[in-house]
Amino acid sequence: MALPLVPYHIKRQARMTDFHGYLLPLSFSSILEEAKAVREAAGLFDISHMGHFLVKGPGARQAINRLITSDLEAVPLGKSLYGLLPNDSGGTVDDLILASSGEEELHIIVNAGNREEDFAWIRSHLPPSLALLDLSIDQIALALQGPASQRIVSLLSRGFETMGRREVRFSTDSWERIWVSRTGYTGEDGWEFFGPAEAILPIYRTLSEKGPDLGLVQAGLGARDLLRLEMAYPLYGQELTPEKTAFDAGLDFAVNLRKASFLGKEQMLEKREDPERERLTGFVLTERGIPRTHCPVIDPSTGRQVGEVTSGGHSPRVGGGFGLAYIDPSFFNEFMKGKEAGIEIHGKIHRARFSSRPFVPGGLTKK
Amino acid sequence: MSSERRYTPTHEWIQSLGNPSLMRIGITDFAQKEITDVVFVELPKIGKKVPQGAEAAIIESVKAAFSIYAPMGGEVVAVNSAIESNPALVNSDPYGAGWIFELRVDDPAQWNSLLDEKGYQALLVSGTGGGH
Repeated sequence: MALPLVPYHIKRQARMTDFHGYLLPLSFSSILEEAKAVREAAGLFDISHMGHFLVKGPGARQAINRLITSDLEAVPLGKSLYGLLPNDSGGTVDDLILASSGEEELHIIVNAGNREEDFAWIRSHLPPSLALLDLSIDQIALALQGPASQRIVSLLSRGFETMGRREVRFSTDSWERIWVSRTGYTGEDGWEFFGPAEAILPIYRTLSEKGPDLGLVQAGLGARDLLRLEMAYPLYGQELTPEKTAFDAGLDFAVNLRKASFLGKEQMLEKREDPERERLTGFVLTERGIPRTHCPVIDPSTGRQVGEVTSGGHSPRVGGGFGLAYIDPSFFNEFMKGKEAGIEIHGKIHRARFSSRPFVPGGLTKK
Repeated sequence: MSSERRYTPTHEWIQSLGNPSLMRIGITDFAQKEITDVVFVELPKIGKKVPQGAEAAIIESVKAAFSIYAPMGGEVVAVNSAIESNPALVNSDPYGAGWIFELRVDDPAQWNSLLDEKGYQALLVSGTGGGH
């Protein structure tokens, strides 16, 4: 599917890649250089593939609140909220960012690969009195990320630089339906913009023309994935699946058990009590190698497979190969206490040890 | 002596070192761009015998692992240890300092099975290259 900014990326000679059917920039110069720029100055990401829904009507917030793990009712108007959408067996349909734009209006940002399923799932669980709109078509979405973002966002002269962390503004003027939030997926300060192509294009132009003077670089999916993995943020399809719960993925903070009940809650709690459930664990390699998704995790004392890598990579900041893996509970405790694991890469076992998460401090964790 | 470079459809280059049986191998500029940031290279052992088309080295990039196939069959006689300490050379100078290994080839006639510059450029234009 052709996204609106593709011609701009091709003009910049970006290396393009397919992501869930969308052609997106993998990198503009070097993945490692782009990731470094985001940690030290700022990067601009095209995230137009992300899904964007609007729920409208009386009781919209309450109806969506019954479908998600976190509590919309506890979040004031103008703040965004992270949450998961459980399925009816307690696994995960998707993870989401939500924000109310009015008493009877709610925006939801969903993952590109899940857009259609999410839409069908949410629609089938909403009363007919509520409208669900997919605003993703002809949308441009941008993520400006990095410690220099606040100076760069002020280039837009819209006052966004005064926004608080996780604050969301919805434009009420000619920029109708625009979502602007101080959020991101890199562990750094930053802003995200979602809206119709004609409304976001001027923002893209200003940022990409004037931003470089303040250290801004264009960054692609390669850097985005590396930055999120350094922060151990989950990616749907890897850490989160229809079988895995928020608890399995270590996202307990995104589950509010005191709020009014939500769909899948009982099943999630039941799964949490399962003594056999695998646990998401961070690891770093102690020798050269790059772990990748699906690499087996081996108990070196038995040679038995005790887990599988969900995401892996290489980071100069982490100091080599690192990643996330689901690990059997029998091995998890020993591993956490310092026992080495083996990660099988190209048929060879590479030694790994437990790592706390995030793997590196992001700009937001330092503060 | 020929300084002509020949190519494979899997984006390796091969060039004589002044002796038709002694050849240097690397990856093309197109390949290094595709692969993105090279993080390390698993070099073959000196003395290893590789048939034409067999995997001889592995390049690990930020993105994925890529097999490097021997454009001609032979025995590995040298490896570029400079790319072990500085793998970014494969990206910055793929035809020069970023070379990967050298072969003493078994059958110089295999040279004729490889793509010349024109043939390789035509392959890139048609977008039918494979392997990486």
